[in-house]
Formats: sequence, structure tokens, C-alpha cells
Amino acid sequence: MSPYKYVGKPIPRADVDKVFGDAIFSFDVTLPGMLYAKLVGATQAHAKIKHIDYSKALQVPGVVAVFTGAEFPQKIGIYAADRDVLAREKVLYYGHPIAAVVAESLEAAENAAELIEVEYEPLPAVFDVKDALKPDAPILHERLAEYKHASFIYPEPGTNIATRVKLRKGDVEEGFAKADVIVEDTYREPLVSQAYLENWVGVARVKSDGTVEIWSSHQSPFAVRELLAASLGLPIGKVIVYHLYTGGGFGGKAGILLEHIPVLLSMKLGGRPVRLELNREENFHYMAQRAGYIFEMKTAATKDGKLIAHQGRYLLDAGAYADYTVNVARSVTFMAFGPYEIPNIHIDTCAVYTNKVPTTAFRGFGLMELFFASEQQIDQLAEKLGMDPVEFRLKNALIPGKSITPTQRRLREDAGAPADTIRRTAELIGWDKPLEKPKEPWKRRGRGIAAFWKGPVQPSSAAASAVVKLNEDGSVDLLVGTGEMGQGTVSALRQIVAEELGIEPEKVRVSPIRSTNLVPYTWQTVGSRGLYSDGQALMRALEDLKSQIRKVAAQIFKVFEDEIEIKDGKAYVKGKPWDSVTLAEIALGYMFPDGETIHGPLIGRGSHVPVQTTFLDPETGAGEPKPFITFGAGAVEVEVDLLNMQVKVIRAATVYDTPVINPGLAYGQVYGGLVMGMGLALTEQLVFDDHGRLLNPNLTDYKVFRAGDIPKEIKAEFLGVGQRNAPYGAKGIGELTMLAWPAAIINAIYDAIGVRVKETPATPDKLLKEIREQKPELLEEVRKQLLG
Amino acid sequence: MSVLVFRTTLPRFEYLRPKSLGEALELKAKYGGDAMILAGGTDLLVDIRMRAKKPKYVIDIKGVKELSELKYVEGRGLEIGSAVTLSEIERSKVVKEKFHVLWDAVRQLADFPLRTRATLAGNIANASPASDSAPALLVLGAEVELSSTRGTRKLPIKKFFKWVKQTYMEPDEMITRIFVPEPPRDSKGMYLKFTRISVEDLSVVGIAGLAANPKEPEKRIVRLAYASVAPTPVLVEEVEEIFKHDKPVKELIREAVEAVKKKTSPITDVRGTAEYRRHLIEFGTAYLLNRLLEVIE
Repeated sequence: MSPYKYVGKPIPRADVDKVFGDAIFSFDVTLPGMLYAKLVGATQAHAKIKHIDYSKALQVPGVVAVFTGAEFPQKIGIYAADRDVLAREKVLYYGHPIAAVVAESLEAAENAAELIEVEYEPLPAVFDVKDALKPDAPILHERLAEYKHASFIYPEPGTNIATRVKLRKGDVEEGFAKADVIVEDTYREPLVSQAYLENWVGVARVKSDGTVEIWSSHQSPFAVRELLAASLGLPIGKVIVYHLYTGGGFGGKAGILLEHIPVLLSMKLGGRPVRLELNREENFHYMAQRAGYIFEMKTAATKDGKLIAHQGRYLLDAGAYADYTVNVARSVTFMAFGPYEIPNIHIDTCAVYTNKVPTTAFRGFGLMELFFASEQQIDQLAEKLGMDPVEFRLKNALIPGKSITPTQRRLREDAGAPADTIRRTAELIGWDKPLEKPKEPWKRRGRGIAAFWKGPVQPSSAAASAVVKLNEDGSVDLLVGTGEMGQGTVSALRQIVAEELGIEPEKVRVSPIRSTNLVPYTWQTVGSRGLYSDGQALMRALEDLKSQIRKVAAQIFKVFEDEIEIKDGKAYVKGKPWDSVTLAEIALGYMFPDGETIHGPLIGRGSHVPVQTTFLDPETGAGEPKPFITFGAGAVEVEVDLLNMQVKVIRAATVYDTPVINPGLAYGQVYGGLVMGMGLALTEQLVFDDHGRLLNPNLTDYKVFRAGDIPKEIKAEFLGVGQRNAPYGAKGIGELTMLAWPAAIINAIYDAIGVRVKETPATPDKLLKEIREQKPELLEEVRKQLLG
Repeated sequence: MSVLVFRTTLPRFEYLRPKSLGEALELKAKYGGDAMILAGGTDLLVDIRMRAKKPKYVIDIKGVKELSELKYVEGRGLEIGSAVTLSEIERSKVVKEKFHVLWDAVRQLADFPLRTRATLAGNIANASPASDSAPALLVLGAEVELSSTRGTRKLPIKKFFKWVKQTYMEPDEMITRIFVPEPPRDSKGMYLKFTRISVEDLSVVGIAGLAANPKEPEKRIVRLAYASVAPTPVLVEEVEEIFKHDKPVKELIREAVEAVKKKTSPITDVRGTAEYRRHLIEFGTAYLLNRLLEVIE
């Protein structure tokens, strides 16, 4: 039970206006005189643009202008800054935007778009990441050397390598020499989509004083502002980004999206508002998706069950633009090999350009993909050692205050409780209990477990700030810059305000519309950092506000400030709650009976910047990348149906070490994370043909699980082991709730039928193929049962 | 085209909403192939947005009373108007009890909100190889009533489909009713739909089965029809003949599976490989027959 009045309670979310249809999204924004932009995609995966003829398009009534890449020399991006506004000189993937039509109506823009003719000179294309690394591979970015990039990104001009990341800890050769068992294997994961509900939309205008305004669907308004200003050479003070509700992001709306396009088009057209809205097919082609992965792993243990060495070559298929994926490459390297202590690690990771859709962040920032591989390595090692997979994990789990992380730092004393989450997860799934036998003989049950850890991948300077304003009726307006995309951070922040001031959460308002000129700064709403970072800024803002309340009350009651207590929306001298002033009475300052007034409006402000995080050594990765790490584990029981090759998650259990501010929201994340993780394990993938054409750019054939697929039994627990500086000890969980599932599900399939699937998704046709290769006798048994 | 344009807006077409069947048929006679019938619109509007269909006229029949009736006459069977929604069929007690295979297919078609809009006639007229209702109608021996100002004719459903998304309807004709004869006494029906997720998916393979008198060879009736395994939904007529023989059930099932394999030609697409579809044809057929013939529960 929570010792608090509001914190730790499942209070209804702040954004119920979505339910009533009051919520406003970017899609709802229209401005007087607004024009519509339509992007036109290329029909080649890799080709020189010889000529673009848009004369016919210009003749369509209502068409205002057509633009091509030649008119926009800017490079857009956050870490690799490798993105063109529209394809310039070359197209780099099938669907690459090559022109933009602007018209008085969307219909006119679309009609005109179809009349554009492009002459291409096809170039050899490369779709496979390993082919792209060959010395004679076609090169996508010939001018890689000229691109601006973040200081911790290491592109290799003359190749397709967008960045190379190294991790060196101990001596891996020495480790392998001492090993008793070694598992060497390769794991693959395809490009997938974040598949958020709301397609991207942006409306921009340039005011007569040169101020650029943009309303768009994004996660992080301040990142959009910074990157828009940097990419277009605008002063920050001339850019205003409006954040409305965002209909899901899952990493796919981190950083800057396509905001620069309507902004540049508006600039070209005398500042007239321009709207660019994507439909689902366009969203699959024009927005960045998630990279594909190949993990080549060699992992060793001694016969007493201790991990001793891990060597990895990790490849990320970054598609045509690797802007954000280059940082994901760092994430999968520095968090390898999971929440375990390994004395010797040697990893080389490359993010590689290929002629496919661009890629970016995705919930978990590469770690779910990493654990899909590493947690299978763990199970395979345990099997070779004849050891229980849970016991093997517990033996190697990191110990706070003692263990040395892959980046060669001692894990902080209050880092969390890695082993406890594994142990408790195993208990909740009934790890030691016998499995139920389904009545149909072709159905088999199995259990699998996976452990994980994660913190945000952010610059050491990633700041946050908050402002709390007290209103005349004792209500509070909370100003924060964090994005709301369904995750519920602002609801949790509201609860903290309510708790600290002793007022009902309903009296705390966070405006659903936030703009960068009106709310205080926060770096980004990514990496499960929102509550942790903005929450700390808020705690300081509340401390500031409370000190002002104490100051005013002290003057009223003629006592010292530290004698004032603030509780239930009132301030009074400790021990004398019957003689109090309400927050309403002092919101604008306090007026004495003779009319003299003191202090004026009460407003608290607070800032936060991470402590003790550092740059990492480029040769070894040594340093402290994380302000916090949340630890956890997830386990499933699956049923494999050998008749139709479908895998059903019967029950799931998951445990996190952190306390939570709102268990209702936290369970929501757990359910959502599980369904998403199941989808990535079992159905989701972008399918390309031999020409690089995306075959499933829609939700008819890009299959995400739906409500009917949610397992009947889900057990989740939060152990309440807090980090000292975190708000109420709470660390982030948004991404964490999906990290375990692909690995746990694949391990469970192996437990059920003895077949290991080393590539996601484990679709029925893939499972059939693997069974035929690894264990054909399973099919013979079923054939006998059905056909005699 | 040398560019890719994914359209959001619909092309221009004239939207017509007749109030009577006569008026609808007049319009169809007048505009022929330039006019398309909109009942639920759940397939048509998607195809129009994708420019797969380019009608100049869209005739909305939801306002035509004569086409909105779902009737059952004892001894004669079901009569389903072309504007009747799948939800209405799903909610019908008599369909569930007497025409179970149809009910079973309809309840697995698309999802709840779509079924409140989509119609049975539309699911047939669209002529998708993945139609879920078609295999059920095939095993039930349904007939499609086609009307035009020239008159009315009835086409057995097995003679209705020509090819992928093509039917034997004339340009001036429209589906007015679907007749489903009374199934054999005490028959059992089932639709087995294999999908990628549990609900709201197109069939990777769909199998409709109908069986009566499983224990008496001479009176035994067994029919099987399939979705997503050939250019059109297919009824494997050989199966009925096979089950007239007095042989051990498992042997008959094996023969039926072989007959089905011969009559189907699955392909590889984004929803599944041909290899996986062949597996489903074999194991799915065997499973369905075991169930219908009461070998297993």
C-alpha cells in the first residue's frame, strides 16, 4: 500500500478529454489561407535523377507551385544529419520523396502529383546489410565526409558505414581461454514500423516578422525547435513549436520528423500556411521506421555457471538515412550484454546504409532487439551447462554497489534490484510448477524468461525544467515541456503536485497545448526519461513554491519559516492546524486587514540536469552513459499449435524494480508493452521485394496485435526499490515494458517444442520451416493423429 | 508512372441513392460498367481510393427497402437481400442454428464495426479469393439472384466467380438476393479460418465444411470449400463423392485431402508462403473432417 495520499494510487488520467472528443490533435489544425502539400515518391531504389518534368502538374487548376530537391540544399537531422529535404541528384530508396506539390486543395495537389514525370538512370542498389559492407558495394552517400554529425558519431566516408561503435572491457581472448562452454550464434530481426495510431501531420507558417510557427505530431517540442533552427539556419528565438496531443510515437516521432518540409514550403511561398498530412501508406514510406539487426554473438561461461566473455559483431540495417539509428547503435553496444556482469567484452557495432526506408528510434532504443539475441545466448549456455535458466541468470545478475558495468563503472549503490526482479518473475509465472497439458495432442506448452535493463540514451547535458503557478482558487497550473503521446507522464506529474501541496489532482492542470515559447525547456520526451527528468525539475519547482508559501505564512503567523507546515492545501504553524491560511488566500500574495499586501503571485520554478553522466571513451566505451537504469524481467507461458503453427501467449508475468507514481498508468504500459512485444516476436515486419519495394505499407498486411490477442492472464509487480534522486524514487518504465517479450516468447517456444527460432518474427510459415528443418518428427506425429 | 503517389482523396464520381429497386436497376441499365453498387462500401471505397476501381457513378442501395430483408421460409431456406449487413446475419438465430457454417464464416469476417456496415452480397460481388462467406455459401449450394431491367436470373454460386476480383455478372446487372437452400437434415457446419492475428484479418486459408449423417455411408453428405488457395473461392466437388464410399473414415479423409490438394493452387504472398498454405490445406482439412465426422471433439 502506498504511504501517500495520491502518489502510488491509480488515479484516472488527466487526458480524459480524448474520450469525450474534446482533445485537439495536429490533424485538427487548419489556418486561413492554408495550402496543401503532397509528396511524390520515387519508383527506383537507387538511381540518378536525370530530369524531373512537372510542367503538366503546374497546369492543374489550384496548383501553386512544385518544388524539387535542387531547391533545398539543407541537411536535416539530429545525430548523423544525413537527411535531404527532397531527394537531390540521387534517389536512395523506393518511395524516396522527390518532389513536393503545393496547391489550394489536397485533391488538386494529388491530381497534379500524378502528372510529374521523372527520368532516372538506375544505379545498382543494395538491400542486404552484409552486401552493403562489401568493398565493391554501391555507395549511398558519396559525400558522407561533408555531413555534420554529433561528436560521438564515427561515419566512415567511402563506405556505407554510418557509424562504428566499440566496446572493450577486459581481455576477451583470455576469457574464452578460461571458458568451459561457448555458444556462437547469429540472430536476425527485420525492419519494422513503430505503427503508431496517428499518421504524421504538420502545419507551418512564417509570420511577417520572420517567426516560424509549426503545429505537428511529435514527441519532443524542444527537439523539433532546436533541430529546425539548426537545420534551416534560423535563430531559436524565431521558431515556435506547438505540441498538441500526439497519437502515439514509440520513438518514431523523436527528434525532428518532417517539420522542415512545410516550413520550407511556406518560406518559399511568402509565409502562407502549408499543411502536409500523411496517409498510412505515406507514413510507412516517408517517416523513418526501425532498423533491421544482425547480431553475431560468441558468449562463454565457466562450468560453475559464471559468464566470462562475450564477443559481438552487431550490424544495424539503417536504411537510406541513419540519422537517429547511429545513436541506437551506441545503445545496443553500451548495454550489451544485458543485466549481467561479464568481465571480458569485445563488441564492434556498425550502422550501415542500405537502399530501404530510413530508420530511427523505436521504443527500447535497440535493447529489445539486443535481448532477443542475448537472452537466447543465455538460455543456450544454461542448457549446455545443464543449469536452470533462472538460476543461471541469478548467478550472473549485476549487483548494485559491487558489479562493474560494460562501460567500466561501478553500478551505483541505489541502482535497483536486478536479481530480485528475475526471482519474482519466475515465481509469478510458476517456473517450477509442472506445465498444464492441453487436451489437443498437437498443442504444446512451454515457458520462457528474459531479463533486461535500460536507462535513457541522452547527452550528459539533457536538461529539464518546470514551473508551477498558484491560482486564486488554490488550483495550480503546471507548465512542463514534455510531450504527451498517450504514455501519461503529465498525469503522473499532476499527481506529484497534488501530493506535495495536499490538493486534489483535479485542481492541477497541465495544458494539453504546449508551445516552446510558453512552457519551460525539456530536452526530449524519449528513453523513458520524462517522469524521471521532468519529475525532478518539478520537485524543485514545488520546493521553490513551498518556500514562498512558508515565507508568506511565516509573516502572517509571525513565526520563522521552518515552523510552517503545508498540508491539505493549507499552511499553518506546526501543531496548530486549526489556525491556517488556504493556498487560495495567498495565491496572489497576502493582504493584511489594513490593506497592506505582501509578496505578490506565488510561482515556483525548478531545473534539472543529470548528475555524473559523462562522455564515453571512443576506443573502449568507458564512461557513465546513464542517469538511471530500471531493471526487470518478463516470463511467458506459450502454447504452440502444431496444426496451424501459431503461438499463443497464455500467460505473462513481469516485474520491475522501480516504484511507480500511478499504478494504473504503469499497468497500462505493461499491457501495451506486452502486446507490442508479442507483435514484434510473432507477426510484425516490413516486407520488401527484390526491387526494394515495400509490400505491406498498410495495417492490412503490417500486422499488429489487437485487443483480442491480449493474454488472459497478466501479472505485473513493481518492487518499490527507488533511486535516491528520482521523484518518489520512480525511474522510467515506458519502454521497459516491452523489452523482455520477443526473447521470452522465443525461449518459451524452444521449451515447448525444442525448436529455436533465431529470427523475428516467428510467423507460422517461418515456424513451419524451422520445424521441418529442426524437428520434422513433430509434424509426423500430428499427421498420424489426424490422418491415421 | 515514374512517380509514386499515395492518394488520400477519392476521385470524383457521382453519388446516386435510389429509393426503389426499379430505380436502381434503371440506373444500372443506363450507366452499365461505369456504375458500381455501394452497399456497405467497406471494399468498394478502399478500392476507389487505391484507384483499383474507377466508377463514374456510385449507386448506394442502402436506401432500397426491397433489398434490406433477411427472410427464412421453412423448407425453402434463406433469402438475404443485398443490402443486409453481416451483423444482421450474425444476429439471426435461424442462421446460427440452421446455417451454422454461414454464421461461423460471417462472425469471423473482418471485425465488429466493419460487420455493422459490410454486406454478404458485397463480400461475394467483390470476388476476392479470400472471401470468407463464399466458401460457406459454396458448401450450402447457395444461388445468387442477379437482376437487371432485362429480368432476373439465378446463378449457382459455384458458377459466379470468374477470376481474382471478376465475376460472371453482366455490366447492367446487380445482386439483389442470395438464396440459401435448406441444408441437409441434421447437418453440421464449420468455418475454419487461419489468420495471422486472432481477429480482424484476411484469411491466409479459409475452409468451410458441411457434413450430414457421418455414420451412414450411403446417406452421408460431406462438402468442402476454400478461400485463399486459388484465384477464386473453390468448392472441391470430388469430396462429396469420396464420402459416399463405405471405407474407414481415416482412409476417406486421406482421399479427400488428396482431392483437395489437386484442386487448389496456393501462392506465396505477404500473408503467407505457398508452402505454409499447403500445410494448412492438408492439416486444416484433416482437422475439419475429423471434427465434422465426429472423430474428435
